[in-house]
This record gives sequence, C-alpha cells and structure tokens, in this order.
Amino acid sequence: MRLSIGLISVIGTMVGLQSLATAAPKAAPPDDQATAELKEHHRHHHHGGVTQFIAMSLDTLGEDEAKRPQVEKVQDQLHACMAAAREGEKKVHLAIADGVEVGNVDTAKVETAIAQLGVASASIHDCSANALNELHAILSPAERGALVHKVQAHWAVWRHVNHEATVGGKEPGGRLAELTRELDLTSDQVEKISTALKATHAANPLQFEPTKGHAHVQGFATAFASETFDAKSINENANAHLAIHGAKRMAHFYQTVTPLLTPPQRHTLAEHLREHASHEPMSPAK
Amino acid sequence: MKKMMLNVLGALSMGVLSSCMVDVADDMDVYPPDAYIATATPVYFEGRAAYWYGDRWYYRDGGHWRNYHSEPAYLHSYRARAVPVRGVVARPAMGRAYYGRAHGGGYRRR
Repeated sequence: MRLSIGLISVIGTMVGLQSLATAAPKAAPPDDQATAELKEHHRHHHHGGVTQFIAMSLDTLGEDEAKRPQVEKVQDQLHACMAAAREGEKKVHLAIADGVEVGNVDTAKVETAIAQLGVASASIHDCSANALNELHAILSPAERGALVHKVQAHWAVWRHVNHEATVGGKEPGGRLAELTRELDLTSDQVEKISTALKATHAANPLQFEPTKGHAHVQGFATAFASETFDAKSINENANAHLAIHGAKRMAHFYQTVTPLLTPPQRHTLAEHLREHASHEPMSPAK
Repeated sequence: MKKMMLNVLGALSMGVLSSCMVDVADDMDVYPPDAYIATATPVYFEGRAAYWYGDRWYYRDGGHWRNYHSEPAYLHSYRARAVPVRGVVARPAMGRAYYGRAHGGGYRRR
C-alpha cells in the first residue's frame, strides 16, 4: 500500500511537471540591443517610406562578396533619391527639438515641416526605379527572396511601433518605457505622461491606413521576387503616407510629453532629437 | 499488483517524458522575429537564406519558417569560422546591424 501511494505521488508529480512544461505562458523575451535600436530608428526616421526599408535591408543582405561594390552603389543611389526627404525630416526633428528645449513645441512650425517632408517623400518612388532595376539584375533569386523578407520585416516593425503599439502604453520595450529609461522618469511622471498621451490620442486620433503601406510592400515583394522586374510597374506608392504619419505620431508624442518634463530632462531629450537629425548616410569611398 | 503498478508507472513516465521532448524539438512557435530578420545577416545555403537564431538555423519555405533539426555541415563550418561583429558595420558576417543613436543611426562609417 505504501508503494502504491508512493507511485501515485510520483505519477502526480510527473503529470504536474508536464502541465507546467506545456501550459506555462511564454513570456516575450526582452528586446536585445539591435532590436531596441531598430525600434528607436523606426520611431524617428520615416522619410523614405518603403524605399528606406529597401535601403536598410541592403545593410545585412549578406550577398555574394563580389557583388558588394555594385550593391553599395545601388544603396548610394537610393540614399540620393531620399536626400530631399531626409532634409525635410531633419527640419522636423530640429523644430521639435527646439520646442522641447524651451518647453513648448511650435505646432504650426512642425506641421509645415511635416507637409514639406511629405512632398519630398512622394517623389522617391519614381526616382529610385532605375536603381531597383539594377539591384534586381545584380542579385540571385535567393538574394532577392531574402531582400523581400527583410523589407517585409522592416515594414512589420515600423507598423508596430508607429501604428499598432498602444498610445501611452507602458509595456516593456515600448515608447514610454524607452523614454523612462532615457530620462530616468519618476513613476509619477510615467503615469501623467501615459494619461496625457491617451487623452491627446482620443481627442485627435491620427488617421493611418496600413493597407496602403501593405499594398506598396506586397507590390514590391511580388514584382521583385519574379524573374523579370520593372520597378516602374509598381503602381502603389505609400512613401509619403508613411513619412507623414510617422512624423505626426512622433511630433504628437513629443508635444504631449514636453510639458511634463523637467528642464534637464527636456535638454537631454532635445539633444537626442538633434542626434537623430544629424544621422546621414555615408559612402565608405568618401 | 506491485508489478502491474510498476508497468503503469513505466508507461506513464515514457509518455510524459516523450511528450515533453516533442514539445521542445518541434516547437515552431519559436522562429526569428521580424526585428531579427531585419537586422541579421543570413547565410545562403541550398538556394535559401538561412538565419542562425537561438541555437539553430532557420529558413523560409513559402510562407512558413522551418529549421534544420541537425546542422548541415556547410552551415556548421560557416558558423565556426564566422565571427559575429558588434558595432556599426554594414554587412557584418552573421552579425546584426545597429541603428540607434549610439551607433549614429547605423549608417556606414567613413
């Protein structure tokens, strides 16, 4: 009898272990550094839209070594097409930074800069067509497939941080959590900022249609994965839509949090924005 | 009775243990997240881009992620000689790209 009780106990323990192994919720792992930095980038840089995702994807495509100079040349051409929009985005960053520094963001100035950014972003699609055609000719089918997956991955991350993430959310790795880390916010500040962001969003929700971005990304993906490709045949152009929405969401965030920060925190945040404004692509040949 | 109980225990133990092992080995809930694909450099093998993530190689098969249950010799050898690079280097061998302020936005350095 004692043996029976012992056996039942052992069985019960094992079944319990199994249920723990299968039923325990899988907690999302914390963001590693590269992931956190990618999110930071996509929260602040929207000027190139889908073309920017393509240019960034070339950083880690891992293509054949012999093709690298050609691919870098294409990447430089894409950056050249995005130059005007990048300048427009720089003005947005600096307008917000100046406002953050003094404690009051000039909404009209920022909105004017965002409108100019949108105009510049709209022209990137046509400008980059020849470069994308060259890129298609350079890459193997496997490399093209990898590029498509990377562009889709960038779009997913961008969409998450600029659209799907809850405004004012306090989740780890989210915008407010990052701001808390950057500025050493107090718990009282975090609560007030979260409430203010939600109120601002409720009063003035941003209009964004992810289907436009999806159509552009999928249009590129389908065409680029084919044996023959002509970038001019991609009719969808969501670059300006992404650039304007991303910039507006960024501006709303900083306009809302600024009054709730201390002067030293505002100074630090303004410096961070100026750093983003200073980011420039550079050719290794220069 | 004692023998029967031991048989029952043996059968249950095998079932429990094999069930746990299958959960681990075939768990395709685990695959490289988007942020990883966007920033990691793949290695090309059998006409596909393979990503080293966690402790195995993953590749896309149509719309699905799959992994190699046993590491192909080519990929093992590649991994053994590749040194992951940290920092702002574009196209690091099996490394990641870093795009934050700390890395100047990730653009190539002069």
